[in-house]
Amino acid sequence: MPLKVLKEETAESLMLEWVLHVKNYKLTVNKNKCVGCQICTLACPKEAVTLEKHPKIQGEKAQKARVDIDLTKCNFCGICDVSCPYGAINVTVDGKHLLSVLEKQSFPQLVRDIKADAHKFPLDREKSEVVCPLKLIKVSFLTADGKTVDPSSLSESERQRLNVKVDVDKEHCPCCGICEVKLPNGAMYVHKFLSGKLSINTTKCPEGCTDCLDVCPITGALYLSDSNSKVHVNEMFCVYCGACKAVCPVDDALELKRTHINHTPVRSGAWNKALERLTSSTEMSKELKTKGSLKARESVRKRVGLKGEENA
Amino acid sequence: MPRRARKKAEAPEKEKRSRQTKPKAKAETPRIGVFVCQCGSNIASVIDVDALTKYAKTLRNVVHAENMNYPCSHEGQEAMIATIKGKKLNRVVVAGCSPRLYEPTFQRCVSQAELNPWLFEMANIREFASYCHQSTPAEATEKAKDTVRMAVAKARLLEPLKPIELPMAKKVMVVGGGIAGINAALDLADMGFKVYMVEKTETIGGYMALLDKTFPTLDCSICIEGPKMVDVGRHPNIEIISYADILKVDGYAGNFKVKVRKNPRYVIAANCTGCGECRDACPIEYPNYADMYLGVRKAISIPFGQAVPLTHTINRDYCIECYKCVDACGARQAINFDQKPEEVELNVGAIVVTIGYGMYNPKDLEWTGYGKFSNVFTALEFERLILAAGPTGGKVVRASDGQKPHSVAFIQCVGSRDINRYEYCSSFCCMYTLKHAVMLKEKYREAIEVYVFYNDMRSNFKGYEEFFNRAQKSGVKFIRVKLENRRITEDAQTKSLTVYGETEDGKPVSAEADMVVLANAAVPAETGREVARILNIPLGKDGFFVECQPKIRPTDTDVPGIFLAGACQGLKDIPYSVAQGSAAAAQAACVLSKDSWTVEPLVARVNEELCSGCGVCESACSYRAINVEKVGEKPVAKVVEGLCRGCGICSSACPMDAITMPNYSDNQILTQIQAVMEKRVRKRE
Repeated sequence: MPLKVLKEETAESLMLEWVLHVKNYKLTVNKNKCVGCQICTLACPKEAVTLEKHPKIQGEKAQKARVDIDLTKCNFCGICDVSCPYGAINVTVDGKHLLSVLEKQSFPQLVRDIKADAHKFPLDREKSEVVCPLKLIKVSFLTADGKTVDPSSLSESERQRLNVKVDVDKEHCPCCGICEVKLPNGAMYVHKFLSGKLSINTTKCPEGCTDCLDVCPITGALYLSDSNSKVHVNEMFCVYCGACKAVCPVDDALELKRTHINHTPVRSGAWNKALERLTSSTEMSKELKTKGSLKARESVRKRVGLKGEENA
Repeated sequence: MPRRARKKAEAPEKEKRSRQTKPKAKAETPRIGVFVCQCGSNIASVIDVDALTKYAKTLRNVVHAENMNYPCSHEGQEAMIATIKGKKLNRVVVAGCSPRLYEPTFQRCVSQAELNPWLFEMANIREFASYCHQSTPAEATEKAKDTVRMAVAKARLLEPLKPIELPMAKKVMVVGGGIAGINAALDLADMGFKVYMVEKTETIGGYMALLDKTFPTLDCSICIEGPKMVDVGRHPNIEIISYADILKVDGYAGNFKVKVRKNPRYVIAANCTGCGECRDACPIEYPNYADMYLGVRKAISIPFGQAVPLTHTINRDYCIECYKCVDACGARQAINFDQKPEEVELNVGAIVVTIGYGMYNPKDLEWTGYGKFSNVFTALEFERLILAAGPTGGKVVRASDGQKPHSVAFIQCVGSRDINRYEYCSSFCCMYTLKHAVMLKEKYREAIEVYVFYNDMRSNFKGYEEFFNRAQKSGVKFIRVKLENRRITEDAQTKSLTVYGETEDGKPVSAEADMVVLANAAVPAETGREVARILNIPLGKDGFFVECQPKIRPTDTDVPGIFLAGACQGLKDIPYSVAQGSAAAAQAACVLSKDSWTVEPLVARVNEELCSGCGVCESACSYRAINVEKVGEKPVAKVVEGLCRGCGICSSACPMDAITMPNYSDNQILTQIQAVMEKRVRKRE
């Protein structure tokens, strides 16, 4: 059987496949999860991923940019999968989600620092789940014998004895932190893995255009001000994915700078280049310098034998 | 310019004559001897040779004429030498067969009689008279007389020439590292010549290195080729230039100038030990050509374990530049991502072309279902399946479900022997199919059913018919079908296949098989056209290189110093490629062992005074043998003697009449024309 290289697109997904006699590589973009942000296009080492703006239809809401992958360039490395903030891309080898780039430490994983304290959750499923704009929080209430119940039907004393179980779909979470703010204090802890700065140049931003707001997957990260009907940024919730930037009709109206990416430690040229594209050359060299000085400190420590300092 | 033009206008005849007949002025009066050949009955049965001889005696300056039976025989030559010496002949005409066949023989004879070999002329009265006018002997004799008269007329004006000696580079380039190239290279290197083996891919070995077993002995292919590959790699006289392209070849036998581009591997060959630690560290895989894309290799790797050289290569199309390989390589520092293509110039005396062949992709033959049905394979894919070192570890399994097939059907002549695709027979498919069938049958016995759908079984060399018998005895079912109306269908659920055919008497036959293997045509190498252009050697209609003479010069090309071996000349199997590799090596050694390369002096001569440097000759020449160069201020056409084939096109194209061909001067040709017209004119009067 000759090598088969396949590409299929449906309304739900985009699928690329290499079918070899002994191996099968598959890449699937879940279009429902994909928000048309820029991260995979920048992270891809082969520049195989492109974004395409949908033509604007007057009077309708803007649509998120469409992602496309060039089958002739893609090598199924899985870097897009690893770096997607929304977990919309899935690369499998022989049906297994084991990525060689992670195994061989050629690319880091994003650190999604998310903690949920179930005790502090309100005893209201609706209220807790609705705060997440991406519906990633699932709350369930269990009685002592393990039965799932609806707390609204119970008496106050029974409610107090309920076990609260919180499931956060971390894999698909971009860590906007809305839940942290909207849920009772301490119920959720979310640390963003992407940090940076998003600002709107109000002089360039066209009057009445809400394209960025239309596509932003995080409710509240962008908002329309009452005073001048222009879009403003709430950086508290912005995840710096760039979905807004991808559809903005005016150059430089949106200014997006990513400054830091929270990731597992790695030593890889592919990551350095991805980092440079995702942030900037200065940010990359900053990270390299930090790494260098950490390494130097480590070797000095080894040589001098100051083991006690570790705890300090 | 005006002066020259005037000179030409005033006295062109005089000018030309004085130039062209200069040697004659000094030379003594011609004493011409005419030897008429009877050629058994080839000539004598049609032409009245006695009358012809008598006639020849009447021609001016002819002092001797005789007819002989075989002047080309040893006896004939001895007699001729005696006559030339005895009668003090200074011009010799042989009226016989074609100069293409026998001119060198008679020239040698003439020079043995201590006469300049270019004072010899041949009149072809066999092809031009006896063969083509068999029914009209009287007219044929008249025509023979005309031909002899022409030859004698030209003989009067012949000038003695000296052969041209050119320097000889005692090195050779072998293009392509398949089994034919390997043998040519080893033989030449053992003879003491420096060999450059230029290979396009990362490793030498060619197709043979990808095979599991070889027919008819069933010995392991790489086990017999591997040691030879290693020998090439280690031979002090051989330099392998792999992963390289030939950009340009200039020059001629004894002195070819070759420009080769070494493509970057991003690995420094001198530092790479072939340990493979980089390969283990690399996270990226891509489909491996050497596995016929059934399996994968790493972005930094070698195509197969026995590769020579063992230098790893980074495929930048797939590499993500994580530099894990750099870390793994460590202190050896063999990896260099900044490597650039490197151009090298080679100076070689001879070139052996062994670029091999390619395989036809049967995708466009719809009846095969190849590419559509997952359990239809090509023979080379099957070869990689059955190979222990292959991607499945030697397990023959189906692509659809990974299960072992219980029946396999082999289909012969897929693309070959098809006038709409490849008219020729691919020559080795019958035998490798027998090999595959026997291997399956002897390994799995009753557990597998093997069918061979064939039209003619071609097993015509040593041990091959016996192998066919062995296949029949082992229980392989041979089904003879017509090449038309074959088709394959697939069961959508089980993915098993049914092969349909039609016997010679029109009866339908079919067989069910879990797996189908196609004997797809072998085709000319993809690079054939490019190599032909660069080396200026002809390609045949079928896309394979054309040898100089199909029977007696099968390894020579039309270009002196360039030889052919292996499947690029015509499809052939391993033993014959090996033999031809050695044959081409011997031919190349005939060139290389000379201290200088002798060229016939029949090359264009440029009168630099007359030449205006217009360049018409340069564009007319098909051998790239004449170029306009500057001599001082003046541009002048210069002949590259090693390349000039003496065709005379430049001479006739030259608007200034500045180019002459020795012994084919205008004067000599006009005189011949006059001689042939003489009698006619007289008759008409």
